[in-house]
Amino acid sequence: MTIQGFLVVSILFSCLAATSYGVVTFSSLQENLIVSASPKLGQVLKAGEDNIIVTWSFNKSLAAGTDSSYKTVKLKLCYAPVSQQDRGWRKTKDDLNKDKTCQHNIVTKPYSSSNTTFTWTIERDVPTATYFIRAYVYNSADHEVAYGQTTDAHKTTNLFDVQAISGRHVSLDIASICFSAFSVVSLLGFFFLEKRKAKMSQAK
Amino acid sequence: MRLGNMEEFWTFGTPFLKYERSLARHFKLLILNIKPLNSDYFQWQLLICGHFIFRIAAVSGAVFARVAMGTACDLFGPRLASAALTLITAPAVYCTAIANSAASFLLVRFFTGFSLATFVSTQFWMSSLFSSKVVGTANGIAGGWGNLGGGATQLIMPLVFGLIHNIGATKFTAWRIAFFIPALFQTLSAYAIFFLGQDLPDGNYSQLHKSGDKHKDSFSQIFYHAITNYRGWILALTYGYCFGVELTIDNIIAQYFYDRFNVNLHTAGIIAASFGLANLFSRPGGGILSDIMAKRFGMRGRLWALWIVQTLGGIFCILLGKVGSLGVSVAVMIIFSIFVQAACGLTFGIVPFVSRRSLGIISGMTGGGGNVGAVLTQVIFFRGSRYSTETGITLMGVMIICCTLVIMLIYFPQWGGMFFGPSSEGTTEEDYYMSEWNSAEKERGIHMASMKFSENSRSERGKRVGSAPSPTDGTPSTYV
Repeated sequence: MTIQGFLVVSILFSCLAATSYGVVTFSSLQENLIVSASPKLGQVLKAGEDNIIVTWSFNKSLAAGTDSSYKTVKLKLCYAPVSQQDRGWRKTKDDLNKDKTCQHNIVTKPYSSSNTTFTWTIERDVPTATYFIRAYVYNSADHEVAYGQTTDAHKTTNLFDVQAISGRHVSLDIASICFSAFSVVSLLGFFFLEKRKAKMSQAK
Repeated sequence: MRLGNMEEFWTFGTPFLKYERSLARHFKLLILNIKPLNSDYFQWQLLICGHFIFRIAAVSGAVFARVAMGTACDLFGPRLASAALTLITAPAVYCTAIANSAASFLLVRFFTGFSLATFVSTQFWMSSLFSSKVVGTANGIAGGWGNLGGGATQLIMPLVFGLIHNIGATKFTAWRIAFFIPALFQTLSAYAIFFLGQDLPDGNYSQLHKSGDKHKDSFSQIFYHAITNYRGWILALTYGYCFGVELTIDNIIAQYFYDRFNVNLHTAGIIAASFGLANLFSRPGGGILSDIMAKRFGMRGRLWALWIVQTLGGIFCILLGKVGSLGVSVAVMIIFSIFVQAACGLTFGIVPFVSRRSLGIISGMTGGGGNVGAVLTQVIFFRGSRYSTETGITLMGVMIICCTLVIMLIYFPQWGGMFFGPSSEGTTEEDYYMSEWNSAEKERGIHMASMKFSENSRSERGKRVGSAPSPTDGTPSTYV
């Protein structure tokens, strides 16, 4: 009895501690939302130009009342594992305060259990990478309580690519090449001038 | 004729030359240090540059570039060599504005890095123009203000980028345009070097070659005499532990302050920049100290000063790793930077005397040693999580002290070393420098520049009273 009691107390205590310190882990969340997005597998979208249509809803096969504490839904653009490799600043961590998987916000909307759709123009500063979309559900204390994502648990399906803005312009390209050519030609000019000066001083 | 005393040093036009030389280097460093805004997009280059193979390639490229530059200086003169290198690497900087993938970034950065070999031609040039009495000061100022560029870039380039962005360009285009500024300066400084510079007080190499006053030397001879001179190798090693350490700290110190003391990124950047900014006075200070010691104690004074200053640098490095509070840590870092940079200045107070014929390659080897030291130190102490950064810094300090001990092995028969006086056989400066020429070459008379130099270098005997023994091979020295 005492051991059971101790276990219950410690579990209660850690839940309390977790919620009071605001440490929510991803593994504690349930995938209760169904999220889908318009990009097909392997499609390449352009940042700043193309749109993504995201649709999300509560999984109706779950018991009613599960979503009683859900208040807001935040949709985020998240990096797929292939884009996280060797990049410590995009690492996935279980502690959601430290997790860096989802760094781009799409939209925040109040929670509704029925189908909701949103069309998002991919923002200009989104870098080139492979992505999926995840929706976090928050309660009134602004803590994550559930999630949904467009891909599977191993993050292998339904991934799409975004191509970032390069900022290059034709005028810049031309200017670069012209100046570079000018530098090299100047160098040849220098050698020629040098030889001529030397010959002239020899002739004196 | 050489620029000898301090008055000539300051009144002759060459301070301008020196400034323009250091300007050239300044802007090279500018390029390498831009921190473009979209850090995610460009973290690629950090990622790729961290890759082991590319580090090796980059360092081999850097060493090769410096030695090649030294050779070019010996053969063609520093003016043409540095103008040529500056112009050839300018396209790499222009093309940074159009790079758009990890591979292209890598290439651009790799080729831009070659331009740093102008350090070698600068030191060679200063050693050719200025006499032994002030050569340390000249090298120190040129080198120090050049390295200053590395610290200044951290502050200047973000401002340039901000300015362009405010004028109206989008962030994505503004950083590309910002690269044109250093690139243009690079082209302009190459022009300035070519039209305003002069290889030697007597004139330029090409004219002197044609008029017969200077003879075109053979590469194989220069190379042989450089690599067989053990002092060059020793100085390469010790330079790896003053300049190499400086480069290493440049790379890790911002992260160190950010992680250990939780300062914000901006503050960490300023602290890191101040490390490089100390070059304004610390490296020239080292050069000036070298000349002052030489006046009193000759070459032995230069060697002792180098050993003492570099060892003190090592001690402060050990301290830096041990100190636990922010304020004291910054203070120790600044003191450490002063000693380490002064040691660099002191090293190039000695390099001009190691060899006359192969001055360029010896300078190149020493410079290359700096890069090798930097990479070696980073790979041993700051890669992965084997050592925490503070432990790495402390161990680096220990390594500085150990590697500096080899200075005790340097011995000049005509002047002595740290522990021994000049050779009792009465070896003279002429004997030392003439040993690099064989009798066939002496018959052709192509050794005259070394003769002039050896006469000039008598000042390295310090304040010893006594008549100088006459040259042993009987060739009268001409004073121009």
